[in-house]
Amino acid sequence: MSVDTAPERAPEPAAAPQVSLRRILPPVVTGQEIVLLVVVVVLWVLLGIFTPAFLTTGSIGPLLVQVAPIALVGVGMTFVIITAGIDVSVAAMIMVSAVVTARMMVGLDIPAPLAVLVAIAIGLALGMINGLLIAYGRVHPIIITFGTANVFQWLGLRVFDSSTVNGIPGTLDFLGRGDPGRTLGVPHSFAIAVVAVAVAWWFLRYAKAGRSLYAIGGNQNAARLAGIKVQPRLVWVYAVTGALAGLAACMMIATGTSTLDQSVGSGKELQVIAAVVIGGTSIIGGRGSVVGTLLGAILVQTVVSGVTQLGWPTQLGFLFVGIFIVIAVGTDLIRERARRRA
Amino acid sequence: MTAVKPQDRQQAAPQRAGVGERMRDWVAAGGLKDRTVLLLVLIVVLVVAMTILDAVGVTRAEFNSDYLASSLIAYVPLALLGIAQLFVITSGRGGIDLSVGSMVSLAGIVFAMLFQQTGLPMVVSIVLAVLFGALLGAFNGFLSAYLGFPPLITTLATFYGYRSIALVVSDQKPISGPEISEFYNAAKAIELPLIGQTLPLVPLGVFTFLLPVAVLAWFVLNRTAYGRSLYAIGTNDTAAQWAGIDTRRTRMTAFVTAGAISGFVGVYTVAQFASARPDAGTSGGGMALPAITIAVLGGVAITGGIGRLSGVLLAALLIVWLNASILIVVPGNDGAQAQLLALGLVLLGAALFGQLSLRRRRAAGAPTTVVPVVRSP
Repeated sequence: MSVDTAPERAPEPAAAPQVSLRRILPPVVTGQEIVLLVVVVVLWVLLGIFTPAFLTTGSIGPLLVQVAPIALVGVGMTFVIITAGIDVSVAAMIMVSAVVTARMMVGLDIPAPLAVLVAIAIGLALGMINGLLIAYGRVHPIIITFGTANVFQWLGLRVFDSSTVNGIPGTLDFLGRGDPGRTLGVPHSFAIAVVAVAVAWWFLRYAKAGRSLYAIGGNQNAARLAGIKVQPRLVWVYAVTGALAGLAACMMIATGTSTLDQSVGSGKELQVIAAVVIGGTSIIGGRGSVVGTLLGAILVQTVVSGVTQLGWPTQLGFLFVGIFIVIAVGTDLIRERARRRA
Repeated sequence: MTAVKPQDRQQAAPQRAGVGERMRDWVAAGGLKDRTVLLLVLIVVLVVAMTILDAVGVTRAEFNSDYLASSLIAYVPLALLGIAQLFVITSGRGGIDLSVGSMVSLAGIVFAMLFQQTGLPMVVSIVLAVLFGALLGAFNGFLSAYLGFPPLITTLATFYGYRSIALVVSDQKPISGPEISEFYNAAKAIELPLIGQTLPLVPLGVFTFLLPVAVLAWFVLNRTAYGRSLYAIGTNDTAAQWAGIDTRRTRMTAFVTAGAISGFVGVYTVAQFASARPDAGTSGGGMALPAITIAVLGGVAITGGIGRLSGVLLAALLIVWLNASILIVVPGNDGAQAQLLALGLVLLGAALFGQLSLRRRRAAGAPTTVVPVVRSP
């Protein structure tokens, strides 16, 4: 008996990790991402046929510049939503970072690196407030961030002081849509967003801390019992989202004119959430990818810009954004149901 | 206070027998931690503090009952949409409606088209606008309840969709005309008959729009099988299903109700502004976020199953009067901005306080029953 069983049992410990690793990690590219990529390519080809001006660098470049802040904040939002949270205060954080940085650029004429650092630091601080309240107050994230969004907005409007910020110097032009913002035709801001997505992809897939975010989103209690320090992780996730909102604020300053008005960032929270859910991240938590978010951001911006270029009413673009959200989440639901049945 | 009267009466009625004893029981059961009591106390504190500030002479305008009553014109849409959120959020499973503002805009446009451009009678137009709102809500409900879309996603999508349709259909221009201008009378302040002499002028909208909906909502939530089912599915969906409740239809009906109420608010905004604005419910921050804030402040649990009409009505009243108070203390633009700060801080404070008292009660081993206790009539 013992002679028989020994050789049978022996390979198991060696084989087990391999099998479980494959089970834990989703395929490198998910179905949702392939579908999204196809949809974006089809849309670009169709738009290229109907409006010949679309598929030129003069049109695609600015489009990617506009995608950049949404994709960048989308990376943070993907982290947040994977942990089963949500952050509706990103627009307000962008506004506060943008106005403070712009004021310092005008008043103190600070150099570009310092401006970027200031913006990121402000975003980080605001995000940390969100994180601390959510992790230790144990109130649903949507309520906390609704509350802080109002407070942040007040803060931003105080700095605006009932007027616009005028005469912003071109310090941040290397993030803008003009020539200084491009190298070999690739906008710097979009390149930064792609690098952020790549780092986040690696982090979520292979880093221990990244995997723990999925665990927290899947089941917070189980994650805690498995030894994950849930609260510090959550603080960190919201702080990162804030920091990315700060960096996005720099891009918004750079892409605007020399005047910054109070509507900066307005409505961005919903656009970012739309990009994330179109990218296949589950709002219930525990599942999602940043590559999908990048593709989702490109899709949203393509639809909005494409409608304008076709000469249709600009507002019609958002109807299509809504339809794409329904289609993207709908196909995901169908596949999820099929997976469960299998 | 007029709008809250039905609530007060309801709470006061059963206390007739042995008031003292009942009060003692109520305090022992943690009644002071009750959200409605907390809100009432906050409202009283606000009014007293403002009266003192007024007497000292800090305020820039007179703080009196007339001022409080006239500020109620902003109370009607806020309270109505708070009630809409109450239904949807209470239904549980992440129930929330981000699209109410867009539904308000779209239903308002549809109402104006029917009433002004097609020339239908007023009552018919109002009924059709409300039904149209219900239809928009039904789409939300169908996706969320029957197809299993998370409500946050459904209503984010329809927020974009409905807003876009409202703007495109109206060509981004407000609809106005002689009939609609006359309709403005439906929202303006009037003196009540009989007792009008002694009371301040209350906006008519409180009686024509808010009161009927509030009474109906109270009745549905607290006196019908549907109301019980709604709290049941919000508390535990699976258990409710095993108890024989059609959870999907119940949840869908909550969204339809929210849509119908939004449609009604759409009609109100037309009356309030004397024109149908395609961005009536979505301009600025939109109407959805304040409505959700009101509901949460009123003690509606974002996880579902908990929530009372009285809490929502009081929370809306607190916010409207707080905003009105800030406007006469803090001058000009700063005042409008300070309203944001106040709303945010009150929401955070209420949410954190509510969580703290819940955890204490749980630590003390007390049951955390969430469904409001309905006293038998």
